Amino acid sequence: MKITVDTDLCEVHGDCVVAAPDIFDIGEDDDVVQILNAEPGEEYRAAIVQATKMCPVAAIKIEG
Amino acid sequence: MTTTTAPELRIFDYDTYAEGDPATFGLPLEQYRYLRDEEPCFQQEFDDPMLIDKAWVVSRNEDIWEVDRNTELYAADRGYVNIWQVVPIDPKNGGMPAMLTTDGERHRAQRQVLAKGFTPGFVRKLEGKFRQYAKDVVDDALDKGTFNFVHTIAHNMPMEALGDVLGVPPEDRVKFFGWVDKFAAPFDTRITASFDEVMEAIGNLMVYSEELAELKRREPGDDVMTRLVASGEGGEPLMSPEEIMGNVALLASGAAESTRTAMSHGMHELMRNEKAMAWMREHQDNLPPTVIQEMVRIASPFTHLVRTATRDHELHGKQIKEGDIVAMLFAAGNFDERAFDRPEEFQPDRIENPHVSFGRGPHKCLGQHVAALEMKILFEELFQRTSSIEPAGPISYVRDAYSRGVYELPVTVTPR
Repeated sequence: MKITVDTDLCEVHGDCVVAAPDIFDIGEDDDVVQILNAEPGEEYRAAIVQATKMCPVAAIKIEG
Repeated sequence: MTTTTAPELRIFDYDTYAEGDPATFGLPLEQYRYLRDEEPCFQQEFDDPMLIDKAWVVSRNEDIWEVDRNTELYAADRGYVNIWQVVPIDPKNGGMPAMLTTDGERHRAQRQVLAKGFTPGFVRKLEGKFRQYAKDVVDDALDKGTFNFVHTIAHNMPMEALGDVLGVPPEDRVKFFGWVDKFAAPFDTRITASFDEVMEAIGNLMVYSEELAELKRREPGDDVMTRLVASGEGGEPLMSPEEIMGNVALLASGAAESTRTAMSHGMHELMRNEKAMAWMREHQDNLPPTVIQEMVRIASPFTHLVRTATRDHELHGKQIKEGDIVAMLFAAGNFDERAFDRPEEFQPDRIENPHVSFGRGPHKCLGQHVAALEMKILFEELFQRTSSIEPAGPISYVRDAYSRGVYELPVTVTPR
């Protein structure tokens, strides 16, 4: 599974950080979300699917 | 075959909410159910000079998600915020532009300036300070013993927390949030005696926000006001003076009142619901986020917001024209059995909770993480330091069809 974020869309709403804190983070000076682990294991799939669904601007994509 | 009898629909009447049934969270759940099942795109007409003329009302959870996310078809920047004619942040009707009344690039630009003051990471830093406010608020409550929860607890916590986030000096906070209360409840004469008071409060807030902007230019802080007045790389201000005023009004009203409302409806439901109260006691050392989100769902602090259709289209068999107003009835979407398991139950451990109280699209509540943290800390402190929290009288609601304020929630606490 590969995670990508369209940084032109991201507005740092932070919903992905709440849904999948091991995968996404927004530091104090970040303009867009940071992907902590772009190729995570299957055990994270449910949380990442949730993050994708919750993103208010639909910026997150899952491949694989 | 059974036919559904239409209940008398009064979903935008002040008195529907003022006289709401405490057993259904103060909400007309039966009317909402009828709308979702029988009239999922309902034309509401208004006959009141203070209100818009008409709106298409969407009430299903899924439809609200769609309207909120599809800003290309349902624009926020063509006038109106809710069913009111006059809103301080509506530039099409004499107000100032703010994020909620802007779309596209300009929305994104404003949002990026402000969002940094509200990210989960930034908010985590505030936890220590919030704990101290919660402690002070609960100290005061324990001294009083019996009190109006809305004032003693739910008012003071967001005021201090938001004061910090925005950068409002402590000595100005009572005055600042006092103005917000006036324009947040323009139709409840116990709070705002006349519409002149509403306009006066808006005027005062606008003048003060300019003073505050000036203060932050001179003495920058680690707060949202400082971000609002900051300059970009070319030395150009990131926000226009009008955007600064508009966004201050937006943030102040979005923040103080709605958090208070969510806490108060949540507290009321806990006192009505023994199982949920016991669950809180079990989890009081570290409240899971599920209970906070469930409080936000049943509170539905703002019943609705509106958008404008950008082109003719059909929805549930109705012909929506370009320029028509479409209202997202969040409070109805939060009780949709298509989206929630037993929506009329308060379930503190509800996992699947696609509530729309914060919105779900690009205009989603900027303060959602601050609000969630405030509520978690406040309820933890309150529960840890009391052995019982009991009703001391009936709940009463603010007379308004937009903001779902609680006017009075008398409680008695017993210290541990």
